[in-house]
Amino acid sequence: MARGGRSGVGELSSEFASVHVSIDLEGNGPRLRVEDLRTGQVGFLDPLELETLAWLPEGALHRFLDPSLHRWRAES
Amino acid sequence: MPSVAPHLPWDELIEPGRVHGSLYTDPDIYAAELERIWYRTWVFVGHVSEVPEPNDYVLKSIGPQPVIMSRDRQGEIHLLLNRCTHRANLVCDAPKGNSSAFRCPYHGWTFSNTGKLLGYPFNSGYDGTALKAELGLGRVPRVAQYQGFVFGSFAEEGPTLEEHLGAATDAFDRLVRLSPTGEVELTAGWLQHKCKANWKMLLENETDGYHPQFVHSSIFSVASSGIGDLYGDKSTAVCRDLGNGHTENDLRPEFRRMDQPLGWFGTKPEKVPDYVAQLEAKLGAETAREVLVDGSPHVMVFPNLFIAEIQLFVIQPTAVDETVQHVTAVQYKGAPDMNRRMLQQTIGSVGPAGFLLADDSEMYERNQRGVQARSPEWLTIRRGMHREREDADGFTVGDATDEVPQRAIWKHYRSLMGGAA
Ligand code: FES
Ligand SMILES: [Fe+2]
Repeated sequence: MARGGRSGVGELSSEFASVHVSIDLEGNGPRLRVEDLRTGQVGFLDPLELETLAWLPEGALHRFLDPSLHRWRAES
Repeated sequence: MPSVAPHLPWDELIEPGRVHGSLYTDPDIYAAELERIWYRTWVFVGHVSEVPEPNDYVLKSIGPQPVIMSRDRQGEIHLLLNRCTHRANLVCDAPKGNSSAFRCPYHGWTFSNTGKLLGYPFNSGYDGTALKAELGLGRVPRVAQYQGFVFGSFAEEGPTLEEHLGAATDAFDRLVRLSPTGEVELTAGWLQHKCKANWKMLLENETDGYHPQFVHSSIFSVASSGIGDLYGDKSTAVCRDLGNGHTENDLRPEFRRMDQPLGWFGTKPEKVPDYVAQLEAKLGAETAREVLVDGSPHVMVFPNLFIAEIQLFVIQPTAVDETVQHVTAVQYKGAPDMNRRMLQQTIGSVGPAGFLLADDSEMYERNQRGVQARSPEWLTIRRGMHREREDADGFTVGDATDEVPQRAIWKHYRSLMGGAA
């Protein structure tokens, strides 16, 4: 993909992940819908959550990138 | 780091006027070179323009070592080793991307783009979390830049990058001076050419002014280029030992004699009016003219970056008899008309159907096969020894076709390998 510009909702892939993002209008207000294309798992982010993301400091999401935190949590 | 360097009689293998053939074929010598040259001195890795945005990364190398060059969100550049600290899988595989973190595909360990281990699946399998602090990605201990060119050194201590570059810093200064913004960008992409030859065959050829009239006669005649004559017996061009193994073919005496702006590039100012106007606005008409007459440097920065006027070649040894050459077109930031031409010329000379690199590669591989012959044991690098002289700045120079650069390379090589300086 060429560098530069911005586009609407669609698919984003890297060598590590593939997601489809779209704006969901099923609720009383809009939400961003994120689908993990490798598993079909879907999550939603509302405008306030998204605003919070825009203000997150460097590396704040990295805590959630620990695989053991949720997705691959040990049973014990 | 393992020290495999065997104690070889370097002074017996490298004499002022000849070098022993085993230097190109002996696997022990290659192993010693990796330790004493590639994993010790400053090696060119990439350019800041290849990771322009926060969290951009590209895959690079230092010899056979796989390296990730990343830019973190603060803008700092990191050189990480592309090896998972679990069981050594490659962490990244795409040639470039944008990600603040990497995930190893083998067992899912995650790392930040600064090398920190973020976590691993099913952590109860490890006793506590002490692992996390210890098992960050390996990194190239020293990283430094000059004019946006990023170098790495595996030695924790040693000369600074500027000390290593020495007089070769001038080549970078001259290169960026031709850009109307004072910056170059390596954004044209890289071609990779693999050839079955020892890396020093390439290193020595880049500033060999003796071969162009023979090896490159076809491209010179097809392109009706006068470049061939610059490497003739009548040429006033010189070859130069810049110190620390850096070498140069300095064609400026010829270009100044011809006094044609952009003559070095085979074009005229009328063909790239925007570029010339930008450069004049930046430097003033008089200085811009001088810069455009002098042209771009032809300098081999030891051990792996060849600045070839409008192209860059990066030499990557992968085995004693195998080398990958990475090639890209120089692009001046903010000069689209000139950039288009530099890209076209690069494709013509080193692209898949290009003449220049194909001709050189043929020579490299023939050299590697020839050097297997048992006799004679030596390669002769005596050309122009009797007419070496010092220039006004105290550098050793020779005529355009002399072997001053090859002798300079071997002298520095011998001192790095442990022979007499
Ligand atoms: S080798 Fe990378 S997670 Fe196991
Ligand atoms: Fe399996």
